[in-house]
Amino acid sequence: MNAVIVLTRSLLRQTLRNRQGLFWTLFFPLVLMMVFSFLGNAPSRVSLAVVAPQGASNTVVQAFTRSPVFTVTRLPRVVALREVQRGQLAGALFVPKEPAPHHPIALTLRYNNANALTAQQTVGAVEAYVAETDLALSGHPPWLRVSVRALTHSHTATYLDFLLPGILALMAMQNSLFGIGAGLTRWKEKGVLRRFRATPVLPGQFLAATLVHYVIIGLASALIVLGFSTTVLHATVLIPWGAVLTVLMLGMGTFLAIGFIVAGLSKSQEATVPLINLISFPMMFLSGVFFPVSSLPHLVTEIVQFFPLTYMTNALRGLMSGQFTPHAAAFGTDLLGLAAWLVATGVIAARVWRWE
Amino acid sequence: MPNKTLRVERVTKRYGALTAVNQLTLTIRAGEVFALLGPNGAGKTTTLEMIEGLRQPDEGRVWWGDVDLAQKPAYARQRFGVQLQNSEFFELLTVRETLELFHSLYRQRLAVPDLIVRLDLAEKQHARVGSLSGGQRQRLALACALVNDPEIVFLDEPSAGLDPQARQNLWAVIRQLQAEGRTVVLTTHYMEEAAALADRVAIVDHGTILDEGTVDELIHRHTPSAVLELSREVGRDVASALSSVQRVDIQADALLLVTDQLEKTLIELVNWANDHQRPLTGLKTRQATLEDVFLTLTGRSLRE
Repeated sequence: MNAVIVLTRSLLRQTLRNRQGLFWTLFFPLVLMMVFSFLGNAPSRVSLAVVAPQGASNTVVQAFTRSPVFTVTRLPRVVALREVQRGQLAGALFVPKEPAPHHPIALTLRYNNANALTAQQTVGAVEAYVAETDLALSGHPPWLRVSVRALTHSHTATYLDFLLPGILALMAMQNSLFGIGAGLTRWKEKGVLRRFRATPVLPGQFLAATLVHYVIIGLASALIVLGFSTTVLHATVLIPWGAVLTVLMLGMGTFLAIGFIVAGLSKSQEATVPLINLISFPMMFLSGVFFPVSSLPHLVTEIVQFFPLTYMTNALRGLMSGQFTPHAAAFGTDLLGLAAWLVATGVIAARVWRWE
Repeated sequence: MPNKTLRVERVTKRYGALTAVNQLTLTIRAGEVFALLGPNGAGKTTTLEMIEGLRQPDEGRVWWGDVDLAQKPAYARQRFGVQLQNSEFFELLTVRETLELFHSLYRQRLAVPDLIVRLDLAEKQHARVGSLSGGQRQRLALACALVNDPEIVFLDEPSAGLDPQARQNLWAVIRQLQAEGRTVVLTTHYMEEAAALADRVAIVDHGTILDEGTVDELIHRHTPSAVLELSREVGRDVASALSSVQRVDIQADALLLVTDQLEKTLIELVNWANDHQRPLTGLKTRQATLEDVFLTLTGRSLRE
């Protein structure tokens, strides 16, 4: 037991001092998240036409124009309605002439209800904004305040929120595969592992230390990306810790086992890395990391749904977007799929891997 | 140190069609420095690794005292000190961290700071392994082999790639290990090293032991008293024709005339040179060495 701890500590030291390796572990996911945080937020504004005749309340018009929630264009009534009808604009807001003091201003919102989602988003946004502005204009401090946090990636979710679980799954895959394929295999070839075979350390102990080390590195980098995305980039995701950790561990276990299989079957490190690329590339693009699996051709979907990374992405995205809870049947299916992969690859890895 | 004899009994290792070690039998006495001498590919490393438990012999057994090491591999691993050929360690750990790692894997052990001083690594103890020179790396490997206060130390080509000064230092360490009562088993293809360090030498080629004994025993058994070296310009046929010469070998650009009548051979040579008006370039006489023993036993030079 002591040997496992000492070896794990040494492996962690070795990895943490490899600045270049660490950089590439974190750099790609962080940059990707940053890029998409800029791209992803723009389309969530509601495009609104404001129809305001001469003498209409300027305060109201200005309030809407300044709002970060809306992209406002002032249009004549007929044009506005036509654009809404054609789906070019989400809604048209009619501002009446300034009424007598102390009378409410009756705003009218016309929206296109062909698309339920956009309709809901438009109405919701306008109503919420009106309530807020009303209070602000009245000069009274608000009595109640609501912080809105999205549960589903329906209307307020950004692409960032969609991408984050996928990136976490992708990182688990890449770190595990390349950890074995490029790290452990190199130590094996250079004879570092061989030297330990001449000590009282058992192969099982070295294996345990290796696995613990890669899981710690994997979880730590997942935490960094998760923390950065939620605090700095304001991704809004749910994090049911227990379930998320379970998925990450099962996934990492599977990909570590696949790494052991590939490294065990190929003769050298030079042969291992291309093979790993061959395995990881299709999953990276087909397993729903960057876009939903459902957008692929039906036949491809039928195959892709059984990939380990697909199970991981589905499970993480479901949990983090609130589509399902850890008790949901859909989550159970993903978990079962991952567990099956882990057992199958683990058994093969145990037969194929050689310590020298 | 307990007195335990290491006995290697008819050990064989095959790799496909190649037999790397063939029915090799050895006895190494407690407290001696034992050298396996032979060219690259002779089977020295494979033999050592089978004793260390890194390779399973296809046939044969290794006994340490009355323990069959195949039955108790863990016992050997606790008590053996092992330096592998081309030992590599985690290159981003420091010298001290590496030693502490190995230190913590054993039950019986020597203190890390003492080992650092003893192997002259004090200045480099906080340097990363990846930044060490060949000699420093070799000393670290040796320190790791001693960390468990071993009864037997196995050194595989310990002086390979070392400069003469570093080799002298290594030899001093090995002599000290013996003085402490440890058994040292080393492989080498340097004749001088075997002659300088080893109580007994086994000459290995093609996976078998051609002969073993002290250096003097081997020389007396296999070579006559003297060797006469000459430039190859003289011609092998001329040398072979001399009646007192027993055998002529060729080593690099020299002819080696093996004789047990040195004076007679010299006279014959001088006469030949007079008669033919030819110089005797590169003429040297010397006592026979292990190198000559190796030539006698294998028909080729160790360095080839």
